[in-house]
Amino acid sequence: MAVKRQLSMVLDLNKCIGCQTCTAACKLMWTNRNGREFMYWNNVETQPGKGYPRDYQNMGGGFDENGGLRLGRQPSQEDYGIPWEYNYEEALMTGTDPWLRPNVKPTWGANWDEDEGLGEYPNSYYFYLPRLCNHCANPACLAACTRNAIYKRQEDGIVLVDQERCRGYRYCVNACPYKKIYFNEQISKSEKCIFCYPRIEKGLPTACAQQCVGRIRWIGYRDDEEGPIHLLVEKYKVALPLHPEWGTQPNVFYVPPLSPPKYGPDGQALDESRIPLEYLESLFGNRVGEVMATLQTERQAKAEGRDSELMDTLIGYKHAEMFKLS
Amino acid sequence: MIFNASFHHAVLLGLAIAVSNTAHADHSELNPNATDIKPGDTVKVSTVPGTIYLRTQNDPDDLLWDRLPLYRIELMPAPPVHTSVILRMDPTATTPKHLYFQVARSDERFYMRLRWKDATENRATTVDQFRDGAAVQYALKGAETSFMMGTGPDNPVNIWYWRADRDDAESLAAGGFGSTTHLPEQTVSGASAYIREEIAQDSEWHVVMSRPLKVEGEHQVDLNRAAVPVIFALWQGADEQRDGDKRISQNWIMLDNSSGQ
Repeated sequence: MAVKRQLSMVLDLNKCIGCQTCTAACKLMWTNRNGREFMYWNNVETQPGKGYPRDYQNMGGGFDENGGLRLGRQPSQEDYGIPWEYNYEEALMTGTDPWLRPNVKPTWGANWDEDEGLGEYPNSYYFYLPRLCNHCANPACLAACTRNAIYKRQEDGIVLVDQERCRGYRYCVNACPYKKIYFNEQISKSEKCIFCYPRIEKGLPTACAQQCVGRIRWIGYRDDEEGPIHLLVEKYKVALPLHPEWGTQPNVFYVPPLSPPKYGPDGQALDESRIPLEYLESLFGNRVGEVMATLQTERQAKAEGRDSELMDTLIGYKHAEMFKLS
Repeated sequence: MIFNASFHHAVLLGLAIAVSNTAHADHSELNPNATDIKPGDTVKVSTVPGTIYLRTQNDPDDLLWDRLPLYRIELMPAPPVHTSVILRMDPTATTPKHLYFQVARSDERFYMRLRWKDATENRATTVDQFRDGAAVQYALKGAETSFMMGTGPDNPVNIWYWRADRDDAESLAAGGFGSTTHLPEQTVSGASAYIREEIAQDSEWHVVMSRPLKVEGEHQVDLNRAAVPVIFALWQGADEQRDGDKRISQNWIMLDNSSGQ
């Protein structure tokens, strides 16, 4: 779907510490009320893990090899996790309940399998994967809507749900393989990440990016050769889309995480990374190895006192320079 | 109104026969009180005399309905027009589904009563639950209008959509696929009863929708015309049906407003 310009985000997974400040910023701004309580337009999940909603990577959706919509499984409330509240008033103030407890029995939540990962010590591993709507160039949600209620803005490629047109059919929820479009039961309509367009229109970055303490997020236009997105995605080619095989052409890109070497049986460092390359390739496609090589080369250059434009960019020394919104 | 005891007896007997024969399959229903209607047929609109007072506007089981002609129409899956619907079509759904309907008018209001068998009462609309629904669609102009959501903005349709989650009816308009619009003037009301039976398949929805004959606003069907083209639709929530994934009576039935009975 051709738009005049496309806003885009790059996230460096080497820098994400899983603090959920982005999640909290997004939630406070958009989803802590009015039927959106269970929604995380932005979430940070531990990978390997089931993610949010639970097992979304195996729910289907997206497109097949021929570009046809693939039917997916409709996530249940339990897959998202049913939000709970605590009886603070009764337990801590009036003392009418001796226990501080949630009002529903928590059995799953957006960050339920935090830090579990995979592997046996000393070769256990995990990393954090922040996720938001990919504002795809070929959005499956848009293709699935029978009412043309989903549209992609010409000026910045942000994908939005027209709340006037939406009749709550939930085809879009099913079709988005990233499960980044949610059904609001209170209003019987679907809602999603809006890339903080009211902020963008004022020249401000999204809340998740502005608040990121690890400075892992860059925002800019794909076609802006002076901007950070072009440098990371096109020039150095170190940022990759999540699950490109799902066919939606995401506009959110990730710098895959390097990891320390794996240990052999005698404690010797082996010539393979702790996070298996095959695993990263299953998420980010077959260019991961190439990206890792570039990152290591550039990092070594910097370590040896030579210049590296890539490393100078990735470090995010000046936060404001990570966003180029005009 | 003077009640005809023998007629009432016959109705009860007829229902008893019908129930005993409908335990297994919808299409084997025998109901001597129902007149089979095919698309293209004409159905007379019954007149409710001014002397009859309805205690509840849309009581789905008002005694009135036992005394008015009952029609039966076969519903088949609607031809799909979007990939999202094609992906969800049940290719084995080749057996017609029966919908019983009654249509009446008083001096002031127009009533539609629908009845159909449904083993599941789906009243929720949640992230993964879909509600039961029923709709009556009227052509604003003549029967040359496409029965599939109208023919563009110049030949639109007005739809009364009853939804189980709110147990009320919406007034909608459409002029082609994907154009269904919630009208600014909501003139239609509705109510339902789900009649649960020992054998789940025999359980039934009873739904009444009604509207004042005289209403303001664009795209509200003129129910004072001599002939009004109408079709019906049902959504089975248990099968995640919504939108174009529905069963419809395939082509217009003409409502004859000319004289009451």
